[in-house]
Amino acid sequence: MDIFQYDFMVNAFLAGIIIAILASVSGSFIVLRRYAMLTETLAHVALVGVAIGMVTEQNPIWVAVIVSVLSAWLIEYLRSYLGLYSDSILAIFLSGSLALAVVIVSVAGSFNASLFSYLFGSILSVTNEDLIVMAIFGSLSMAVLLGLFKEFYFIAFDEEVAQVSGLRVKLLNFMLVTIIAVIIALSIRVVGTLLIGALMVIPTISALRYRLGFMKTIFLSLLFSITAVLLGMTLSYQFSLPSGATIVLVILAIFTVSIVINRK
Amino acid sequence: MSINFAPAVFEVNNLSYKINGSDIIKDISLIVKKGEYAAVVGPNGGGKTTLIRLLLGLEKKSSGSIKLFGKEQKAFRSWSKIGYVPQRVSQIDQYFPATVEEVVKMGRTASRGLFSRESEQDRDAVKHAMMKMDVTNLKEKLVGELSGGQRQRVMIARALASEPEVLILDEPNTGVDMVSQNRFYALLKELNKEDGMTILFITHDVGVIADDIQTMLCINQTLLSCNNPHEVLSCSEMSKLYGIDAHLVHHHHH
Repeated sequence: MDIFQYDFMVNAFLAGIIIAILASVSGSFIVLRRYAMLTETLAHVALVGVAIGMVTEQNPIWVAVIVSVLSAWLIEYLRSYLGLYSDSILAIFLSGSLALAVVIVSVAGSFNASLFSYLFGSILSVTNEDLIVMAIFGSLSMAVLLGLFKEFYFIAFDEEVAQVSGLRVKLLNFMLVTIIAVIIALSIRVVGTLLIGALMVIPTISALRYRLGFMKTIFLSLLFSITAVLLGMTLSYQFSLPSGATIVLVILAIFTVSIVINRK
Repeated sequence: MSINFAPAVFEVNNLSYKINGSDIIKDISLIVKKGEYAAVVGPNGGGKTTLIRLLLGLEKKSSGSIKLFGKEQKAFRSWSKIGYVPQRVSQIDQYFPATVEEVVKMGRTASRGLFSRESEQDRDAVKHAMMKMDVTNLKEKLVGELSGGQRQRVMIARALASEPEVLILDEPNTGVDMVSQNRFYALLKELNKEDGMTILFITHDVGVIADDIQTMLCINQTLLSCNNPHEVLSCSEMSKLYGIDAHLVHHHHH
């Protein structure tokens, strides 16, 4: 296929598949816990990391990983220890971090096309270095997700019963938001910070319409997510469309079909 | 009355719990012994659920002591000995992706290590719990699609899958039809009599199970009595508990 004659397309597809897998599996726990807005908030927080990275001339992705993990911990702390309303905390972090990112970038005088590519994804600019960062942090997150899969599932089903059964729920919640933060920071190259929420939430929400058990739902969500990324990227290449937005539109189409064929 | 020499499963001394300075639980002391079937009764808002949540460590006590299996609650680690069935049984949303088997397997989660594969023992415990609660034929179904009575049995099966020594149930029978309820009471009785399971059961329907239980704990902020159910039912504490006009409606079942 001539789509792969360029190295950057190979990089793009590899990065896309890594993100599709990570986003759909981790996103399913977030969706079941009714905590989908966490993904939007952390995506905006990651933008602060990108801004710092650009200004200090470090690789913006790994700075974004650090900043979003630290913020995820702060959010989780405020939520579980201080008892602030979680949706309000998310709203504060979302607009607050966007404001911070804009100020940092404009003070440094680099408010340019490069930042735009982090907002909406620019899969064609995935470098070898990006791919290495994604592979390392991605496999670490995947290992934690697989290792704590049944624990996260139990907590999503009933947090209190999980706690009474002896699970260390608070620690596990910190682990989950940490992985979510890492995955979001990794994926901003592919779909962009304004669009990553879609890739974490919509595959699972679509899969839920088929009313299957958890394992089957996870696999279906994975299938939807990978299909959306591959199809979206191919379409974006063929018709010169922005990649992140095209991926999101494909996953929305899958969602619509899932709703329609499962209606009663 | 015979003296029960069995070891204590729960031992509570002078337990109090306050929110913003007002008493929710005041100075409760009680013992539940191994093999005992105890019902916790009392008016709504009287602190029954709070007492259970304190026992389970879901709320932090203001003062007093709680011992579980002879150990201070803080030092207690063998949580798999306690099977807990909460109140919210009927509130599982219909889209939650969980088959009956997946839910019962959760009962093994805490005792299995990280990354570990399911062992023979895990599989047996799950199978046995599903058989005991008669939900094996439902194992591929989503819990959200079950009737109230079926869900109730699934939640107990999950609690049993951890092979507990004590079962704590917090009124898990709201929205459950009469036939299922009676079947449920019969199952609890069987678990207690035949398997020697210690049971602590919060209920508003104590008349029905009066013949099955050994102890009745009447909670209205404090512990009003802790006695043989037949004595309590006829005693004046009942009117203190439910108000002056209260009288007991006797259910007969065989």
